[in-house]
Amino acid sequence: MTTPTEFYRRTDHRDPAPLPKGVDAWANRWIGAYQRRAGALQRLRSQAAEAEGLWSTLKDETNHRLRVRLQGHRETIRRGGKGTREALLPALATIRETAHRQLGLLAFPEQLMGALALHGGCLAEMATGEGKTLTAGIAAVLMAWNGRPCHVITVNDYLVERDAQWLGPLYRFCGIHAGFVTAPQSPEDRRKAYACDITYATSKEVVADFLRDALKLGHLRQPTRRLVWQLLRPTEEAQDGLVMRGLHTAIIDEADSILIDEAVTPLIISAPHSNDSLKEVVQIAQAIAQPLEVSVHYSVNPRHREIELTPAGNARLDELCAPLPGFWKAPERRTELVRQALVAREFYLPGRQYVVVDDKVVIVDEFTGRQMAQRTWRQGLHQAVEAKEGLKLSDPSETIARISFQRYFRFYHRLAGMTGTAREAAVELWQTYGLPVLTIPPHRPNRRVQHPDLILPTAEARWAAALSEIRSVHARRQPVLIGTRSVAASERLAELLEAEGLSFQLLNAVRHHEEATVISMAGEAGRITIATNMAGRGTDIRLGRGVADLGGLHVIATERHESGRVDRQLFGRNARQGDPGSAQAIVSAEDELLSRNIPAPVLRRVQQAVQHRAPGCQQLASAAMHIAQGLAQRKAETLRRNVARMDTWIEESLSFTGREAG
Amino acid sequence: MSDAPATFSESWYRVASQRLALRPTVRARRQLFRGERWIVLENPFTNQFFRVRPEIHEFLARLRPDRTVEEVWKECFERFPATAPGQEAVIQILAQLYHSNLLQYPMAVDASDLFRRFEKTRQREIRSRLLNIMFARFPLLDPDRFLVRTLPWVGRLISPVGAFLWFLVVGWALKVAVDHAPALRDQAQSVIAPDNLFLLYAGLILVKTLHEFGHAFFCRHFGGEVHVMGVLLMIFTPVPYMDATSAWGFRERHKRVLVGAAGMIVELFIAALATFVWAGTGTGLVHNLAYNIMVVASVSTLLFNLNPLLRFDGYYILSDLIGIPNLTQRSMQQLRALAERHLFGLRKAKGPALHRSEAIWLSVFGAVSGVYRIFLFAGILLVIADQFLLLGLIMAAICAVVWIATPIFRLASYLGSSQALGRHRPRAIAVTAAIAAVVLAFLQFIPFPSYFRAPGVVQSRRWMELHSRAAGRVVRLLAQPGAAVQTGQPLVQMENPEIQIQLAGARAGLVEVETRIRQALHESPANLKPLESLKGSMIKTIERLEREQAELTVRASQDGLWLVPESEGLIGRWMAKGGIVGALIDTNGFLFQATILQEDGDRLFVKPPAAAEVRLMGEAGRRIRVDGIRVIPGEQRQLPSAALGWRAGGPVPTSARDNEGRQAAEPFFEVNGKVSDPAGAALLHGRAGWIRFDLPNEPLLHRWVRSLRQLLQTRYQV
Repeated sequence: MTTPTEFYRRTDHRDPAPLPKGVDAWANRWIGAYQRRAGALQRLRSQAAEAEGLWSTLKDETNHRLRVRLQGHRETIRRGGKGTREALLPALATIRETAHRQLGLLAFPEQLMGALALHGGCLAEMATGEGKTLTAGIAAVLMAWNGRPCHVITVNDYLVERDAQWLGPLYRFCGIHAGFVTAPQSPEDRRKAYACDITYATSKEVVADFLRDALKLGHLRQPTRRLVWQLLRPTEEAQDGLVMRGLHTAIIDEADSILIDEAVTPLIISAPHSNDSLKEVVQIAQAIAQPLEVSVHYSVNPRHREIELTPAGNARLDELCAPLPGFWKAPERRTELVRQALVAREFYLPGRQYVVVDDKVVIVDEFTGRQMAQRTWRQGLHQAVEAKEGLKLSDPSETIARISFQRYFRFYHRLAGMTGTAREAAVELWQTYGLPVLTIPPHRPNRRVQHPDLILPTAEARWAAALSEIRSVHARRQPVLIGTRSVAASERLAELLEAEGLSFQLLNAVRHHEEATVISMAGEAGRITIATNMAGRGTDIRLGRGVADLGGLHVIATERHESGRVDRQLFGRNARQGDPGSAQAIVSAEDELLSRNIPAPVLRRVQQAVQHRAPGCQQLASAAMHIAQGLAQRKAETLRRNVARMDTWIEESLSFTGREAG
Repeated sequence: MSDAPATFSESWYRVASQRLALRPTVRARRQLFRGERWIVLENPFTNQFFRVRPEIHEFLARLRPDRTVEEVWKECFERFPATAPGQEAVIQILAQLYHSNLLQYPMAVDASDLFRRFEKTRQREIRSRLLNIMFARFPLLDPDRFLVRTLPWVGRLISPVGAFLWFLVVGWALKVAVDHAPALRDQAQSVIAPDNLFLLYAGLILVKTLHEFGHAFFCRHFGGEVHVMGVLLMIFTPVPYMDATSAWGFRERHKRVLVGAAGMIVELFIAALATFVWAGTGTGLVHNLAYNIMVVASVSTLLFNLNPLLRFDGYYILSDLIGIPNLTQRSMQQLRALAERHLFGLRKAKGPALHRSEAIWLSVFGAVSGVYRIFLFAGILLVIADQFLLLGLIMAAICAVVWIATPIFRLASYLGSSQALGRHRPRAIAVTAAIAAVVLAFLQFIPFPSYFRAPGVVQSRRWMELHSRAAGRVVRLLAQPGAAVQTGQPLVQMENPEIQIQLAGARAGLVEVETRIRQALHESPANLKPLESLKGSMIKTIERLEREQAELTVRASQDGLWLVPESEGLIGRWMAKGGIVGALIDTNGFLFQATILQEDGDRLFVKPPAAAEVRLMGEAGRRIRVDGIRVIPGEQRQLPSAALGWRAGGPVPTSARDNEGRQAAEPFFEVNGKVSDPAGAALLHGRAGWIRFDLPNEPLLHRWVRSLRQLLQTRYQV
């Protein structure tokens, strides 16, 4: 039998403060800058050194005495308050020794620094291969000891399972239960996993579970109301079936990917819902849009993905709508709907954005190439694409609950994160999530040789250059990893390599664990691996025997990504833990990054300069790349901020309908 | 959300199944604005108003607690397919109604939400009070019951009969005022005199209180409730105010306008009554008070209350007459849309105006009131910074933040992060920067004629004061003062009875001595010698006395113009020996001696102009040329003539301790120049005038910065 307060805690979470605005936002920025100051890192360093000193006295303890010690620390930390602060470093030292015995790994001082940063609620930036998993494990023990739910969140199910199992011995020795949640699990399994001290899960799973719980609770999702309800009617059995036991602590691995890249779209729980009027409207809009011609009736702006009706188009629209019922008389409404049909025609192309499988539109993820059978575009647009393809219109999925990642992660009382690349987004991470970014130095100095970018005038020239580079590297038997921006690009490169008769590994659209095995082999001598930028994250590439003497892994980026962080992630694949390595970007002036973000007249000049090998053209082009990246990032940032703002607006304005979550 | 609200919304699920309705207390009234039908929703509990389009109201009116929003929405679409609001529009309107407390919902809202909202509203109130520190309102009483109780009597006046009476009284008062126009004008000069300020303020309070009651009674008469009365601190001057906003709910426009004009109607009536009192009384307290009330109730009413550019009665009347509520706000939106469309190239930008004429109204009003406000605020800033020392500096700083820094910050954040701008941002920033650069360059580089004026007096280059050499009483003037006289010409005749008596005595003594000499010749020649010497001394005394007698006639010591300061009072006055009888002035050369404030001094020191222009008081039409300008490098405090000081009605502040009125309160510099061309003006020694120095052209920005620094320096020694 659960006590009322225990129940209360099940749905407990922090009430996130609204995002600061105006002058507050400025002040908030300065506070963030103060939190990220160098002094904070110095403090961590000295604390880590102190913990190391304490650790040296533990080497000769028996396992039993070690366990007793751990238990003591656990009790102190559970009690909270001043004792926790004093017990922190001895506890850290003890956990280090435990990890050493149980996992066979001795955490470096840098990892201890990382664990302390996590414990302090920071975002620790640690390079690839620095042992983030162990760092998170140590911090998780410290943070889960207080008995509150501790979630360790990472990017995919494979990593969830792998990390939870690999760290199992450490957790067990420390007296902590750890569970994990993956997509196929049943609610019962999930409940068990969430009941553990530490729960590993992907962000999608935790957010979805949270939303499902909130739906189950209905109007009682407000914790205080729930508590009062429970106290008033103790006899009434609360409708159980909740999966989670509240939100308290979260450690997010690959935090930039989860908190930033994936935060563009909110997570939605939906159910198909027949909406005949919508379907009818979409069909008619499609019929009206049919005779309209590009550049006669409407203009297309590929840079901003916009459709604008011309005066001729508007006149034609009047004509076409004349025989239609009253719904089509309102000019704003019909323009909106016809424009949607035209957007579906111009910007949603079969084979690129979607494929038609079994008379259904299936969305294709542009970067990974995966078919996302479960996903649909927003209401109306999806139907418009179906109408264009002449398919039977599917029922629009009706949203039942929705929450943005920005909002969800601010529910946690304690939030911490780790990633290889966060500096670029430090301000956003602070302003949105209150996470100060601390860059933990690598254990051994970095030995990566970064060659200057090679920029070629056309995409074809780029492939040719990349190919010759691959050939020359391969001739030395040095392993090479080629990153591509999209699946289409990786397939194109694969064809070229095949024509050359080179053997290679192609990585895309396969399951995560296969990705991981392939990518972990990429460091063997003489290997050629092609991967999309996002493939195989979270897996180390260890160098094969003798490869270090060849100069380590060579990484080639064939296109710059919108975000500099993603580029850095690709380059960060090599030269781990002081290994040698080299990297180079071989890109073209025709890349989408440029055409999407640089104004056309400027871009033409740059392309001409590169074409004619004008002096300084390489610098010019790489400056253009930089600017394009900056602009793209700013655009994405605004998009994310709007998601968060919209979320807050809806929460505030429509709170009379009951709160979404919380 | 610059596009039109979408027909289908992602957030629809939040409201679709809700059972909502307008609160039962909400009253809906139809009003016409510029010939368009609008529905005004009013919540009488909070005095909040909300204006919606009729098609939206069709939707809202159908909301009932027993139907879901979705059902109502579908019904609306069936009935009015062309005009029914889309899902997004519905969500927006519901959110706005919820925030205006007009919506009834079945579920208890999360209490913490309500608290948060309350806290937000309170913070906003505090902030707006801080922002409006120059016009802070402090609500005190609820006058509604008083109004209701007194309305049966007062309300009778709000009728055609009342109007007739009003026109009669005001018209008659106008006639009286015209009849007494000269007296009216004379007294006008002393309105701002320091000893009159208290009366002025007393009149102001009285009049404004009645003014507010005018609004309140009219509003109450037409059925609106008036629940708030309080004090408005207008630039630190407490004046009463009343909240008659419930009048906005009146369906008839003339009633709304009448409520807005009620204050002025009352004031003009009071002004009329005061005119009668003023015209019927002699000089005295009542007379002065009546005069002040007259001025306050007529002039201030017409200048301030009727002025639509200030947010007083005139503004609301105008906005009602042209049928555009929230005139200021909407005109700003209109201007912004204009800028976005024409300067930033945002073709989709649309102002709030629905028609061309409305757009013109909004644009013109926005532009005019914007410029007016800049000058008004600048004026207020300077006045408070100048008048209230430390407090003034703090206030000026707050106002500067509110009126200058906040708009700039807003503009910056609009340019930096407004969603509406989107991809036009670079252009918007470039255009704004270019405009700012042009304005700055204009102020920084384009020189403007620069001059300043200083008070001074005309002085003869060579002149001498005429002293009496003997003491005596002035009996008559032998030459007309102001006449040209020659050396030796007798000017003033004095008499001194004492000298005459002494002379008579001396002469009698002489006769006696001569008699005794003759007697001694006869009787005792031995006494002869002393008597002879006595006679000699007697003669000398007589000669001296005769000389003194002659000196009672004052003669010109040089050629020139003979001037006497007060020729009337001179006759009969006793003049001590050495007293000033008048002055002799050389008419061939005059100087103009100007006193220049320190802050202007440095501009002259840098490069003194060769020539300047003088206009004498009373003869402003003639421009007298002055050249050979010389700046005397050294601070002075003694004015060249008492005529320049406050004590004698001049422009220079004088020290209160100095009875003569020649000690200036602040040190000044003396500048003088030779009058080279009198231009026919009557140059008189001691005549006051203004000198105008034309300085090299100077850009405005330089000048402003210098003025500001000097202000800070003199006021705060910064």
